[in-house]
Amino acid sequence: MKTLDPHPHLAQLLKQYARDLAQSAPSSDLDARIDHLVADHPQMSVPAPLRRRRGAVFYAAAAGFAALAIGAGIFIGMRLEDVRAGVAAAQGGAHDTLWPPADLTMWPTDSVSFKIPAEYSAKGTLVAVDPDSKHGSTRYWIDVVVSNDGTFRIEQVVPADPSQKNGGHDGVAPKVP
Amino acid sequence: MQTMKLVSSDSECMARLAAGDGNALRELYQRHGRALLRFSSAMCRSRQAAEDMVHDTFVALMREPVSFNPAQGTVFGYLCGVLRHRVSRHFRQQKRWVALDMDSDSSPVHASDSQSPADEIARSEITAALRRAMLELPLQHREIIALCDLEELPYTTVAGILDCPVGTVRSRLHRARALLTIRLASLELIDLESEPPIAYRGLS
Repeated sequence: MKTLDPHPHLAQLLKQYARDLAQSAPSSDLDARIDHLVADHPQMSVPAPLRRRRGAVFYAAAAGFAALAIGAGIFIGMRLEDVRAGVAAAQGGAHDTLWPPADLTMWPTDSVSFKIPAEYSAKGTLVAVDPDSKHGSTRYWIDVVVSNDGTFRIEQVVPADPSQKNGGHDGVAPKVP
Repeated sequence: MQTMKLVSSDSECMARLAAGDGNALRELYQRHGRALLRFSSAMCRSRQAAEDMVHDTFVALMREPVSFNPAQGTVFGYLCGVLRHRVSRHFRQQKRWVALDMDSDSSPVHASDSQSPADEIARSEITAALRRAMLELPLQHREIIALCDLEELPYTTVAGILDCPVGTVRSRLHRARALLTIRLASLELIDLESEPPIAYRGLS
């Protein structure tokens, strides 16, 4: 497409306007501002890579701070959860332990020990005998402990000393029924 | 040859500026400052705004000297492109404000030695009217008249500055001249009856 020449009058006016514009020079104020720019050049013209690096550092710092905040939030949440679980367990335990555990008794355990004289019978078993009776075979003392919690146990079985009247035992010798 | 030397010199200045030599900025301003001010004055309403645009252009050049690509055109074309964007942004921002005096400092008139005072007054009035008519044009038409008719730059250079094909420059210039002619005719500064070119028949 060929651009046609402008109207002759318009061309004449534009040429005159261009001549007027050509005579206009930058003001001293603009010159001074440019001089100021040149003087401030080292401060203002930061190399682009450095500026990009500053931007990258800023974003890296922001990302690090965000990660730190998220981590701290998770840690605090876990701690709160633990504390809450502990409190709940303590409260739940108080409700659950209405009775003492099986290895504990409500009352202090009291027990008494009995010394039972015994001899071997013909059947080969230990049977209780009268402590004052004469004994032909080997006599034994059976230490029996009876507790007030209803338990009963044989503590030990020891041979009696034949030189002593009660067999050398200093314990209680209950009557045998 | 002279042009090639200038281009080479401009490229050297840009290289020095990118390396941190502030004096290169001063050289570029001394070389192209006046032309940029002419373009800016044709685009802006006030002299102060025109100088602000030129100043902003050199500030942008100093901050981003590496953004100039010699393969895409001359340094002057690059500076004109930066200035054009500054002016465009300036007018976008100005739309938010209401000007108190549209005609303040609207005419950069300078006296000619060969004319009488009466002629100078008449000429200044006509130039002021032309300037007002140009400022009423849309920005894209105003800038194409400023670059092609006032600065008389080649179409290829203007196409590089405006970042558009040469054909677009031609058609836009044709339209801009037509609009300006009609406007000046309405102000009775142009007589369309006397030897109207073919292109302007039927426009009025």
